[in-house]
Amino acid sequence: MSLHLDELATQIATLDPAEQDALWEKVAALNFQRGLEALAQKYRTRLAAEGTLDQTADTVMAELKKLREEIAADDYRT
Amino acid sequence: MTIGPEWVVLDTNIWIFGLRHQPEQPACAQVLQHLPQLHVKVPRQVLLELQANLRHEEMREFFRLLHRNMGHTDLRWEQVELARIRTYQRRGCKLGDAAVAAHLEVLGIGTLVSENRDFLYEIMGLPFRVLRAVDFLRELGGVE
Repeated sequence: MSLHLDELATQIATLDPAEQDALWEKVAALNFQRGLEALAQKYRTRLAAEGTLDQTADTVMAELKKLREEIAADDYRT
Repeated sequence: MTIGPEWVVLDTNIWIFGLRHQPEQPACAQVLQHLPQLHVKVPRQVLLELQANLRHEEMREFFRLLHRNMGHTDLRWEQVELARIRTYQRRGCKLGDAAVAAHLEVLGIGTLVSENRDFLYEIMGLPFRVLRAVDFLRELGGVE
């Protein structure tokens, strides 16, 4: 693994600075997308256990609208 | 003169449909996959709604992710003046939508991505445009 990383680092060091920047951006984007997918998976697993993963988009939207009003009424109560 | 990136706001429904992988709304998950290329502000109302939908641990993971995407994501916890919210209520917005609209105006946001039909078709004269996820993705064609 260490040898493989050394080879990879050597290859990356041959890239010009702009290419290296583009590479780090791509690595960061891939890491972000993996993290997001892991979070989505965890969320979906929880919803499935609660029996709400199969709700239709209309049902979810109706609940989100109701929640929006409740939260705003509480946050901006005068 | 330097022109900065265009910041957009994703409505709560885009985040939630995207995380759920809602079968009727596949474009929402695709929008979230583009986050590293976007500049996204998350207004208070959306943050509070996400907090209400996600468990504490899930929310922590969410914040950790956004922190990693720093420079591309801006969390805005501040409240908006009630008078500005009332202006949008007078135009026909419900209180919650009015809070979102008022915050977008304060933040100078030009685009809200949302599947909320009230925003998309019912309320006229908003100072920002409202795009469905699929239309936003179409525009993103040139982002990468």
